[in-house]
Amino acid sequence: MTVSKIVEIPIVAEIPVGPQHPAIHEPIMLKIYVEGEEVVKVEINTGYNHRGIEKLCEKNSFYKDIFIVSRVCGICNTVHGDCYVRAVEQILDIDPPRRAKYLRTLAMELERIHSHMIINAIMAEIIGYDTLFMLIMRDREMVMKAKEILTGGRVLADYMMVGGVRRDIDEVKRDKILSILDKIEPRVKYYMKLFEEDVTIEKRLRGIGRIKPDEVLKFSLVGPTARGSSIKTDARVEDKYDAYDEVPFNVIVRDEGDSWARMMVRWEETIESINMSRYILNHLPKDGNPVPDERRLPRRFPPGESFTRAEAPRGELTYYIKSDGKPNPYRVKIRTPSFNNIINSGFVYLGHTLADVPVILTSFDPCISCMERVIVIDLKNQTKKIVPFKYISLGRV
Amino acid sequence: MSEERKEVEVPEELEFAKEYIEKSYLMKPNRIVIEIKPEKIREFLTQLSKTLEDRGKKFYLSTIAGTDLIDKNVIQLDYHLIILPPGQGIVVRTYLPRDNPRIDSILDLIPGAFSGECETYDLLGIVFEGNKYLKRGFFVPIDITEKNIFPLRKDSGV
Repeated sequence: MTVSKIVEIPIVAEIPVGPQHPAIHEPIMLKIYVEGEEVVKVEINTGYNHRGIEKLCEKNSFYKDIFIVSRVCGICNTVHGDCYVRAVEQILDIDPPRRAKYLRTLAMELERIHSHMIINAIMAEIIGYDTLFMLIMRDREMVMKAKEILTGGRVLADYMMVGGVRRDIDEVKRDKILSILDKIEPRVKYYMKLFEEDVTIEKRLRGIGRIKPDEVLKFSLVGPTARGSSIKTDARVEDKYDAYDEVPFNVIVRDEGDSWARMMVRWEETIESINMSRYILNHLPKDGNPVPDERRLPRRFPPGESFTRAEAPRGELTYYIKSDGKPNPYRVKIRTPSFNNIINSGFVYLGHTLADVPVILTSFDPCISCMERVIVIDLKNQTKKIVPFKYISLGRV
Repeated sequence: MSEERKEVEVPEELEFAKEYIEKSYLMKPNRIVIEIKPEKIREFLTQLSKTLEDRGKKFYLSTIAGTDLIDKNVIQLDYHLIILPPGQGIVVRTYLPRDNPRIDSILDLIPGAFSGECETYDLLGIVFEGNKYLKRGFFVPIDITEKNIFPLRKDSGV
């Protein structure tokens, strides 16, 4: 028998992870090239969920944009609102009362607590620890309640206003939030201990996805990812916006640089945030009404530009706003932390096994909706519609 | 209406670039903007990292922001840098012609520029020469890219 065909098996296999990533249920695709089990190349494909929010902001007024930018991300919506509102305040030269600044800070810190809890829960889930996932999510619900008491919204708060916040709190609400914080603290400490001591977690996370401090700066990685690699950067300290100049807190930095360090930074920051929230509630200034009268807000916007930063749960969030004197902003540039952390971090996966890929991705706390902002715009009719991703893939759009 | 700009002295750390910094002013809140010619960007960043290294400081590229200034027929390109410590923000600003916006890529100096350069190309059409990863459809959906429209251009009609 003569040989008529030769079957060559490629040494490098291509494995698509996504577009619906199994761990975080969000549309991103990592094209992983593996040699055996080892990852040799990673391509990060984006564009599945771009909503055109920057363009949408240009087409709406400064005030409507507060609601649009709050929808960039579900989890960190108050941070987006705050960063945008501060940029507008810079253009208008408005300084909100201290009480409003304290309340803003409180809303953002409560958000940080639940955001850090959810990503640690997801990390537990993807390493096969489903019970831990359920437990953390159960306790996270208490923080959501606290946020609801403060802002009126469990998830989407729409709490920020130019010149202040949308609602004030009284003594009853204050005591309720304080008692919730007292309940969460021991739980968070327990989970932190678990992440420190559990053998399975240690085996799956320690030494995985190690990033050197130099690489963090070169690749513009921000937030807990940077702080997990001993880069002490935190926009809250650097910019001292809102009440961060008065509320005491520590910047958590770890030297290990691996996935475990990034998760531990988040747990320790959660404890810091609980203490900060407590401090804020016990030291709320009474220097005036934090809720401005919406009818008296300025309607004319002077030309100018501003660039504000905020420390979102995932890292440094920046807004660049340019006004040309019209009611709509001329340009709104949003740079979310995941935009840097996910797109630039392809190099971290190299050399690890395929099973480590979800661990590393989750350790960056990816937020794909933050990163991508798509509505389909019909150019002929100038209409916009939101379509499911499958239609785009089927070419029906 | 033109905007008010508060002129400032070039900070001491950036003295090395004094001869080619055309303007320096403040952007709210407290970001120092320096305007330089597009061809000097790479030289500036190389010298900046050397100067900062001598002082035990570092910087990272926070974001790249392009703005289409259709009245002046230019595209304004801002590189937002953060110097650590203490987290001082510096904006390196340059202007490119609208009809053929081209600038040298800084990807080999700062790999973190990857996301910013790819996004700016996809949304505004600025070509970063030397960046081989530029592609349409990085973010923008296919129905826009196949008409060769850059959505954030003011005359794009999107």
